[in-house]
Amino acid sequence: MNRDVRRSATRGLVASSTLGALIVAGSRNLDHFDAALVAYTFSILFATFGLTYRYSMWLSRPPTALYWRRGWQAFFRRGLLIRHAGQLLSRIGLDVLGNRFIVRRGQLRGLTHLLIMWGCIIAVAITFPLVFGWLHFSPVPGDLTRYEAVVFGFRAFRFPHDSTLAFFLFHGLVWASFLVIAGVMLAMRRRMREGGAAALQRFAEDFMPLVLLFAVSVTGLMLTASYTWMKGYGFTFISILHAVTVIGTFLWLPFGKFFHVFQRPAQLGVGFYKDVGRLEEKAHCRRCGHAFTSRMHVLDLIEVERKLGYRYEIAAGEVEHYQWICPPCRRASFVMAQGLLWRGHRGGSSLPCAEALLPMPTFANRGLGEGPLDSEDAENFHP
Amino acid sequence: MPVPETFEFFIDAGRCIGCQSCIQACAECDTHKGQSMIQLDYVDRARSTQTLPVVCMHCDSPTCAEVCPADAIKRTEDGVVQTARKPRCIACNNCVLACPFGVPKMNTRMNLMMKCDMCHDRTSVGLKPMCASVCPSQALAFGTREEMAKLRPRSKPVNTFQFGAQTIRTKVNVMVPADAQREFVDVTAAMHEPTIGHEVLDDVFGAEVRA
Amino acid sequence: MSDAHHSSAGEPAAATRAPGLELDMIREFGPFRAYASDVRIDSGVTPDKRVKTHCCFCGQQCGLELKVKDNTIIGIEPWYDFPFNRGMLCPKGVKRYLQQAHPDRLLHAYEKDASRASGFRKLGYEDAVRRVAEAIARIQREHGRDAFAVLSGASLTTEKAYLMGKFAHLCLGTANIDYNGRLCMVSAGAGNKKAFGVDRAANPWSDILGAEVVLVAGANVAECAPITTNYIWQAREHGAKIIVVDPRITPLARTCDLFLPVKPGRDTALFSGILQLMIENDWIDRAFIEAHTVGFDAVAAQVREWTPERTANVTGVAEKTIRQAAEWWGAAKTSFLLHARGIEHHSHGVQNVLSTINIVLASGRIGRPNCGYATITGQANGQGGREHGQKCDQLPGGRDLANPEHRAYVAEIWGMNADELPQPGVDAYEIMRKAERGEIRGLLSICFNPVVSLPDNNFVRAALEKLDFFVAIDFFMSETARYADVVLPGSLQEEDEGTVTQVEGRIVRIQKAVECPGEAREDWRIIQDIAKALGRERGFTFQNPGQIFDELRVASKGGVCDYSGVTYARIEQNFGVFWPCPSETPPGVPETSPQGTLRLFEPGSWNPVAKGTGPFYFPDGRARFNPTPYVGPAEDVDENYPIILTTGRVVSQFLSGNQTRRIGPLVDHYPEPRVEIHPQLALRLGISDGDWTLVESRRGNCTLRASVVKTIRPDTIFIPYHWGGRKSANQLTISAQDPISKIPEFKVCAVRVVKAPGQPEYAALLQPQQ
Repeated sequence: MNRDVRRSATRGLVASSTLGALIVAGSRNLDHFDAALVAYTFSILFATFGLTYRYSMWLSRPPTALYWRRGWQAFFRRGLLIRHAGQLLSRIGLDVLGNRFIVRRGQLRGLTHLLIMWGCIIAVAITFPLVFGWLHFSPVPGDLTRYEAVVFGFRAFRFPHDSTLAFFLFHGLVWASFLVIAGVMLAMRRRMREGGAAALQRFAEDFMPLVLLFAVSVTGLMLTASYTWMKGYGFTFISILHAVTVIGTFLWLPFGKFFHVFQRPAQLGVGFYKDVGRLEEKAHCRRCGHAFTSRMHVLDLIEVERKLGYRYEIAAGEVEHYQWICPPCRRASFVMAQGLLWRGHRGGSSLPCAEALLPMPTFANRGLGEGPLDSEDAENFHP
Repeated sequence: MPVPETFEFFIDAGRCIGCQSCIQACAECDTHKGQSMIQLDYVDRARSTQTLPVVCMHCDSPTCAEVCPADAIKRTEDGVVQTARKPRCIACNNCVLACPFGVPKMNTRMNLMMKCDMCHDRTSVGLKPMCASVCPSQALAFGTREEMAKLRPRSKPVNTFQFGAQTIRTKVNVMVPADAQREFVDVTAAMHEPTIGHEVLDDVFGAEVRA
Repeated sequence: MSDAHHSSAGEPAAATRAPGLELDMIREFGPFRAYASDVRIDSGVTPDKRVKTHCCFCGQQCGLELKVKDNTIIGIEPWYDFPFNRGMLCPKGVKRYLQQAHPDRLLHAYEKDASRASGFRKLGYEDAVRRVAEAIARIQREHGRDAFAVLSGASLTTEKAYLMGKFAHLCLGTANIDYNGRLCMVSAGAGNKKAFGVDRAANPWSDILGAEVVLVAGANVAECAPITTNYIWQAREHGAKIIVVDPRITPLARTCDLFLPVKPGRDTALFSGILQLMIENDWIDRAFIEAHTVGFDAVAAQVREWTPERTANVTGVAEKTIRQAAEWWGAAKTSFLLHARGIEHHSHGVQNVLSTINIVLASGRIGRPNCGYATITGQANGQGGREHGQKCDQLPGGRDLANPEHRAYVAEIWGMNADELPQPGVDAYEIMRKAERGEIRGLLSICFNPVVSLPDNNFVRAALEKLDFFVAIDFFMSETARYADVVLPGSLQEEDEGTVTQVEGRIVRIQKAVECPGEAREDWRIIQDIAKALGRERGFTFQNPGQIFDELRVASKGGVCDYSGVTYARIEQNFGVFWPCPSETPPGVPETSPQGTLRLFEPGSWNPVAKGTGPFYFPDGRARFNPTPYVGPAEDVDENYPIILTTGRVVSQFLSGNQTRRIGPLVDHYPEPRVEIHPQLALRLGISDGDWTLVESRRGNCTLRASVVKTIRPDTIFIPYHWGGRKSANQLTISAQDPISKIPEFKVCAVRVVKAPGQPEYAALLQPQQ
């Protein structure tokens, strides 16, 4: 574990140093760097360290390490790369950007997540370059009606200060705040209303992030309100308040729920792993003989379980490892084991089966109405 | 709120009559309303009506959580292994395949594993889980050890299971005969056991219906 | 609210008018499946109220709470305190809430309109009631009072059951009223009256818990009375031996201690054989027989011929198993015998029941703690519905319509001349026969779906078509209501209040949870509205069910089923009251406990028939042994029809399925009927699991998928009966009836079975529940 910690810490340092270097470079030796934003910068540098460290630690866990590797292997599988690249784009579009799987969990949930996610993306896209000094706007010399955008020290484009583009650019954070606030409200409403959510949620894990996002958005809006309509009333206080909320959020980033933003894309790798698994040889349950998942998946799990210290090996017989038993047959074995202990106490006897393998248990609900959750559940375990 | 320690889950599959009340009631639970988490299979319907009611056993060191690459499965301090955390679960299916009891379910469209959480919405406020509340045979029962000892003096709860060389301890108990020799249930030893039941013996029929 | 599939993809577009399938009616009125959606699936909805009431289905009447939001029942919550089930529920109870606010719910009255594809057009409620009253008046004027008949049901509250009897006998003045308990409880009722003089479970279920032996005969407890399973297993936990008599290895039988796979229709032989062994080995309580019974010697002489060998030959149960059963039953110190339709649905159902009672009486184990006997009531109010006058020969309080004293008592309460009370009428099936013969010209039915539930239902359909006028009161367009001239929208159980009496004889309270939707009315209002439209309003001006109950209490006073001491408040305070519960007891007799009479026939107990001479309900206070000569089934197997068909239930469906076939999750549980066939028989017939299988009897045929399982006798096949139309098992069954109870022989008839050439026509046209 010490090795993992050292390696992860190193990676974290490298990541934040790299970001620091980019800031220096992008702001032309801090020429365009606004010293007032230095606290923001350091909080982001800390977050970068923390996120990289945690991501690296996460990747060093046996199952994660294995599926990280397997995901990439599957993606780069010879002959499938082009197809996979196409799928990657569509899955990023539908699942990552479009939150398709969350919409399927519930339309309102999907909307909630889309609002929060896009609000944050817009805000980050605007503020990070500004804070790092990678982007700034300067008046065009000799033309009072236009601004010039400077990106990474290079002049990029000019636009009139009363144009629609300008309006959107300079108020981008306002729009982002609206999205985030609406999303946070919906999320809060769900968490306060639904019995199911109420039973499982924790303050630090589930409410803290919402509170932080809300605070960031509201204090940001207050800043806008202050200089737009209130002649800068309380501006300094509000900006300190805003800074505190934003910096707090960044410092919290590696620890709490926000980490899922970085973890989540792993589902793309899982998709490819499953796709490849479907093309490959199947595993056959050694109790009932039915195919259930890919042989690769079973072998991988056996390896992971060994690394984790589990000992599901079976010394006697042909099963070898419990992982070769399909889930329905596991349920059967478990229940039969209890039933056998009652032999002689209760009526009935074992009813032998003439075939070499035992039949696979069948889900009791014929119409599957309250049964398997969807096709994968049904295909794998309840044919 | 944690599930009170005095209340425990007891399973006696030998009582199960396969009525599916648990399946229907499970879908009424607030944490996964509309979807049933419980597993109920016929072990071999052609030969007997024996059914397998399986809820999450809530292992002390849950294999499902350990093999989860996304860190999505958490065991809370009350010993309940919670269903996958929605933001994290990446639907890799590891937990489904690795759970020694065959419990989790995979909702691929939602990219989400779902499993029994002992009706955390109910048990954490002192109510019984839905399945154990309605179960007409009380194959699934929820209560205190004292209650069970009084109701079922010839049974005793056991929560240790053997899978090959692996021992698994769980929060949920199964009922075994009070005079059973061993204090654990050897699951892999029963792996090839056929279904249990009565048979209509051939010799009680006229020859004319014999094949 | 609910998710109907009126235009689901699976529905064929070109489904026009396949003969006998009534597709257009189905498209209009269902059955369609409802699933939880919207407010019912939203875990953030807080119910407006939670109503403590009971399940609307079987006779156990499990307590439960209905969660109500904006006049919609959004779910259930276990009622942990109700002592009978302590929160336990079967799948029907869990999902029953989906029947309410259902898209198929009848919200208006309808009248037949042949010009429409659906067969019906809407009609204003008042107009519909007027049409009904006019038709009744005309038919009775032209053809006599008895030409209009009433069919009622045992799922109605006791108040409604009482009102239906009063309506027929007082308002219509017809002799012809009967109820669907005729298909359910009557054999047990008749047997109990012949042996004990009273018709009620002798013991509360708590007596099962301490029994040494529990004998279950012809009762698929796990599927038809699931909660009783816990009582039986609980007895086993304390060492009880469980004996099951059944042609199928039911879930309860799977791990019972002794399984007797009796050949359908041979129960009397089996119990005679057991009694003979008991006598032979002196496993009988001679002191009890001497002191408390009459007729033992005749029965002993009659069973002498039932040697174990002969019994084994006739019943198909191995001799050693019979001996073992007799020994366990005979030698037990405490015991409980339960039976249900399995032994009762026979052309000699009463004999079967009496043969079980004989082994109970011979053992002397009755009327004491942990010594019990009971039939398991089937319908919601199977007990209360058979006590208060909707049976063809009965008056309230379990009184007899043929008994002059009883007639006088009730006539006085009803404010009529006893001579005007009709004489006993005919049973439900005979009403159909009379309709077919043209003797009965008009019919009102409520809570009864004979097109699905009566045997030989091709005949039933023909009979209904012959009627001049048929009015059905129902909340859904049942298969029977499709034949009606007028359909009146009645009430679901949760839309009305009242009482029912459950399996133990415990009177429980049904609470109103929601209002009737649309133009639907509480059933008792509809009946009173008809009475008013007929101009025969007297005696039908109740303002609420409580008033009906109060009159019922008076009407039952002094009768065998005495409810006079029962009040709604007393029921609610005590989690139910067991009848008999007289308002006053004779001097020297202790007052009835607040919970009523839990256990019948206790030594020294008083009853209005024996008046202290003994615990049983005969003038001498003694129970009766009844000889039970063995008679085989009305239709035995032969060369042409070589296989026995027996019918029954599955746990997810209830009776004719008019309610449960509309509840999506219950349909999914067991979507369509299947023919259970033993692999030996299946092999001989070349049928594999899942094959379409044609089953034919002398009365009809039916094509269903096969379920090849070893859990049934190889000479018998089983089909569950909850479906209508071409899926109905009752196309095959025989209308032979018990001469005493008039129960039809649902449990045995002869059929032949072949592999069907292909799938039946309906398979492509209908959804599973239709």
